Amino acid sequence: MVVIKNTRPYIPPVLRVISNNTAQWGNPLGLKKADCASWANGLQLSHKGSTILHTGCEYQMTAYLRSLAEVLKKAKFEDTLFRAYSRFQTVGGKLGMGLTEIYKKVAGRETEHYNQLLRMAAITLRKLGIDFAYLDSELYSGALLYEYGLFEEFERQAKRVVNQFKEAGAKRIIALTPHSAEIFHQVYPKFISNFHFEVIPYVSIVAVALKKLDTKLSLAEPLNVTLHDPCHLARSLQVTEEPREVLSIITNLELKEVATNRELTNCCGAPGEVIFPELSELIAAKRIEELSATGAEAVVTLCPFCYSNLSKSADLAGKRIKIVDLIEIVYQALEASHA
Amino acid sequence: MPEGKQIFEQYYDVLLRIAHDHNYAMGISRSVNAYRERKTRALEKFPHTVKLAEEVRQLKEDCIGRLDELVQKATVSLKENGAQIYHAESAGDALEIIGEIVGSGKLVLSGKTLTGEEIGLRQHLQSLGNEFWETDAGELIQQLREEKPMHYLSPCLHVHREQVAELLTNLLGREISPDAEVEVRAIREFLRSKYFEADVGISGCNVLAADTGSVILLESECNIRLLTSVAPVHIVLVGIDKVVPTLHDAFKVAEVAWRYGGFVMPLYISSVSGPSATGDIEYTMVQGASGPLQLHVVFLDNGRSALAQAPVLKEALYCLKCGGCLLECPIFQLAAGYYGGRGYFGGVGAILVAYMSGGFSEAAPIAYTCLRCGRCTEFCPQSIDLSKLIAELRHQIVES
Repeated sequence: MVVIKNTRPYIPPVLRVISNNTAQWGNPLGLKKADCASWANGLQLSHKGSTILHTGCEYQMTAYLRSLAEVLKKAKFEDTLFRAYSRFQTVGGKLGMGLTEIYKKVAGRETEHYNQLLRMAAITLRKLGIDFAYLDSELYSGALLYEYGLFEEFERQAKRVVNQFKEAGAKRIIALTPHSAEIFHQVYPKFISNFHFEVIPYVSIVAVALKKLDTKLSLAEPLNVTLHDPCHLARSLQVTEEPREVLSIITNLELKEVATNRELTNCCGAPGEVIFPELSELIAAKRIEELSATGAEAVVTLCPFCYSNLSKSADLAGKRIKIVDLIEIVYQALEASHA
Repeated sequence: MPEGKQIFEQYYDVLLRIAHDHNYAMGISRSVNAYRERKTRALEKFPHTVKLAEEVRQLKEDCIGRLDELVQKATVSLKENGAQIYHAESAGDALEIIGEIVGSGKLVLSGKTLTGEEIGLRQHLQSLGNEFWETDAGELIQQLREEKPMHYLSPCLHVHREQVAELLTNLLGREISPDAEVEVRAIREFLRSKYFEADVGISGCNVLAADTGSVILLESECNIRLLTSVAPVHIVLVGIDKVVPTLHDAFKVAEVAWRYGGFVMPLYISSVSGPSATGDIEYTMVQGASGPLQLHVVFLDNGRSALAQAPVLKEALYCLKCGGCLLECPIFQLAAGYYGGRGYFGGVGAILVAYMSGGFSEAAPIAYTCLRCGRCTEFCPQSIDLSKLIAELRHQIVES
C-alpha cells in the first residue's frame, strides 16, 4: 500500500509572497501607490463620489507579469529563489531576483501602454457622461487570495477595500476588470456583512451608455476581429451580450465569432501563470490557435490578464493576430467618430 | 515517504512531459472530437436527459445527506438475497477483506473499477500471488502499459491504434496489425477462455439500489457480464456514495451518467442482487445455480463519510463519473489523466483524491492546476460548481 495521507502538502511559496505583498502594499506585486495611480495624472479625477471606477491595480500589474513568469520558470519550486523575490521592495537579495530586478526588465513603454489603456477607459466614461471618482490609493480586490484559498487574508483585504469605498461615499462600483467584478459581485457578500454596493462591469456600463447615445461609431480603418470572452465575465457573471452590443455599434468593425464563445469560452491560461508558468503558455497557445482560425486580424479582450497572456503567446508563436483591449477599440471609435 | 514538495515537483514534471507528447495530443484530440459527436447525438435522441439530470442532482444531494441509513438498508436487502456483506473503513481494510476472500494462486478477472484503482487492488492481489487481468479493453491496454488509467470511461484514450498493435503483438506472440477491428478480436481471443477458467470476478458498481440490493453495472463490452456470471465467486467493491434509495432511482442515475458519457444506451446493463439461486425444486431456494456460488459486497468508506459532511466540498460526491467535463477541460486536453491522482481526475478529482485516495499532499498540485475557468460546470449534468469547490479545497490545504 502506497497511500500517502499524512505527508504535509506543499504550498507554492508564491502564495505567501502574494499575500504578504497584498497585506503590506495593497496589491499582490507590491507596487507602490505612485506606480498604481500615475496613469490618472493630469486627468483631475475626483477622489470622492457615489460612483467609483475601480482598477484594482490590475492593469498596472500586468506590465510586470511576463518578467515575473520568467523568474518563476527559472525558480521552479526552489524556496530560496522564492524567498529572494518575496522581498519585493528591497534590493534583489543574494540571487538578484527581487522585484527590483523585475522592474528593471520591464521597459517603460510597457507600463506606459497599460497606463494609456487606463486613461482611455477613464476618458471614455467621461465622454459617455458617466460621472465617477477614482481612489488614488485604491487597493487590489484580493481576488487572488480568495482563489488561492487564503480566505483569512482575503477577508482582511476585503474589509480594507470596503472601508475605502465607504470613506469615499461610494454607492456604485464600476469594476474595470472581470476578476474584480466577479469577486465583488459573487464573493464579497459572503465574507462581508452588509455589502450593499452596486457592482457593474466596465463593459456593461459602456454598453448601456452607448445604447443611450443612439449613434453609430466607426474606426479610422475597417477592422475584423474575434472576441475572447473572459471566463469570469462570461460564465460567472453571464455578461456575454454586452461586449457584442458595444462592438456592433462600430459600423466598420466585423466580428468573426470563434466556435468556443460566450459561456463556452476557453481559458487564456493566465490563472496558472504564477504557479505553473509553462503549462499556462501551452494553454494560451491552444487558445491563440482557436482564435487565429477565425481569420480575424485582431482578438478583442476584456481582461488585463487575458490580454497579457494571449499577447505573449501570439508573440511567441509568431502569429500576426493582434490582441486589443475593448477599452482601446471603444476609445478609438469615439475619437474617430468625434463622438 | 516522498515529501509534499517532491510530490508537487514530480507531478508537474510528468504533466509537462505529457503535455508535450505528440502521441498523447493525437489520442486526446481524436477522443475529444469523437466524444463531442457522440454526446450530441445521444442528447438529441433523448432530450429528456437534461431535465432528468436536474432530478438526479436533487437525488444525489438527498443521498449524500444520509449515507449511513442507505448503506444500512442496502445491507439488509443484499443479505436477504444471500450476499455476504463487508464494511471497510479504509483502503487497507478493503484490501484485507478482499485478499482474504480471494486467497492466493487464483485467476482473478476484473471489470473497470475506479474504486479498485483508488485502493490499489490489482497490485495488492498480484502481490498475494494471484494472476490478475483487467478485462475492459481499455484497462487491459493500460495494464499492459503499466500506467494509470486516463479517464473514467475511456482509460486509454491517449493510446492510438499503432501503439495498441505493438502491445498486442508482444502479448500474443504474433503480428497484430494496427487496425481497431483486428485489435479488438485479438483482445477477445486473449480473454475469452479466461472467463471460464477464472476463480474470482471482481466488479465495481455504477449505482446500487438500497431497496432491492441491486448492483447496477453499465458496459458495452460484455466483459463485466461474463466475469460476474461465469466465475464461481463475484466480489463487488462499491463506494458508499453509490447507494440510492430505490431501483427506480438507480436507473435515473445510470441513465444520466451514460448519456453525458456519450452513450445513447450502454449495450449491456446488468443488475446483480445476490448469488445465483434456484427455487425450482419444491420452491425451496438453493444458492449456487448456474452462476456464482457466492456474492461478496464490500462497502468502502475510505474518507467518503468525512467528505459527505464537509459543507462545501460534499458537492464532489454528486459527481457521476461520466467524464464529460474532463474532455472539455483545457488542462485535461493537454495532460489527460495525469491531471489527477489515484483513481480520480481533473478538478473534482482533486477533491476526491484529497479525501479518498491521496490526502492533501497529493491533492495540492492537482488543486493548484485547476484554472477555475468554470468550463466544466457548463457541461456537468450535476452542475458542480467546481470553481467554488477548488477555492475551498485550497483553503483546507493551506490550513492543514
